[in-house]
Amino acid sequence: MTKDKRKDGDTGTAPRRDFLKLAGLGALAGATAAAGTARPAKAASAETPSGSGYRETEHVKKAYELSRF
Amino acid sequence: MAQREEILTEDQYRAQFYRLLGRLLACAPDAELLSRLRDLQGGANAIEAAFGALAAAARTATPDTVAEEFQDLFIGVGRGELVPFASYYLTGFLNEKPLARLRQEMAQHGVERAAGVSEPEDHIASLCDMMAGFIVGDFGAPMPLAEQSAFFDRHIRSWAGRFFEDLEASQAARFYKPVGALGRAFMEIETVAFQMAA
Repeated sequence: MTKDKRKDGDTGTAPRRDFLKLAGLGALAGATAAAGTARPAKAASAETPSGSGYRETEHVKKAYELSRF
Repeated sequence: MAQREEILTEDQYRAQFYRLLGRLLACAPDAELLSRLRDLQGGANAIEAAFGALAAAARTATPDTVAEEFQDLFIGVGRGELVPFASYYLTGFLNEKPLARLRQEMAQHGVERAAGVSEPEDHIASLCDMMAGFIVGDFGAPMPLAEQSAFFDRHIRSWAGRFFEDLEASQAARFYKPVGALGRAFMEIETVAFQMAA
């Protein structure tokens, strides 16, 4: 995939960043930051709660796990 | 996970948001998750108001009550009140073309269903999960925004808002009502934010 002019870099995304900042998504990070660091190994475990859970086919073979948010 | 450093803070928040939605829609929250949700701060805008409502709902919920609610909403006897699959929302049936298209695209991105998961991949929780993974690079390099936007357009935007509205309006939903509000507000934010980057 070739990189588009400005869509995936830092440049040209200021309005989008500001919009996302104002949207208040960050409240989630505040409430869950401690929890996130408390369970770092979960990402590599094979445990997958029912419902969904996705895994790479070849490259990394890392189990992808839901409860790490 | 060295790539994580390159991810903008706002995009990390988006990924966390998708992960939370995915987690809550895959199965009912356990005691630990409920207690973390109780700490969410409310506020004035749509997302913050929904966070406040979710925190309040988490305070009165127990693992047993949310498990029962989840069962009524999504599993039921034969079928839950809601059927949170893209194919169902878009065609009225499960396992139709939207699922086939999603599977093709997942294969292109090197993503497959984890062992032990039986639900079709177009479940809302799976799609949220995939978005989170694309944003932070769980399936390889982080996905460029334009590609995230295209994936969102093809597999989520056309129906997820309706699903979250249905969840919010559901008679059986207590804890999940603010989850619906949160999801609906987030889908609107994603739609606008992608347009700003286009």
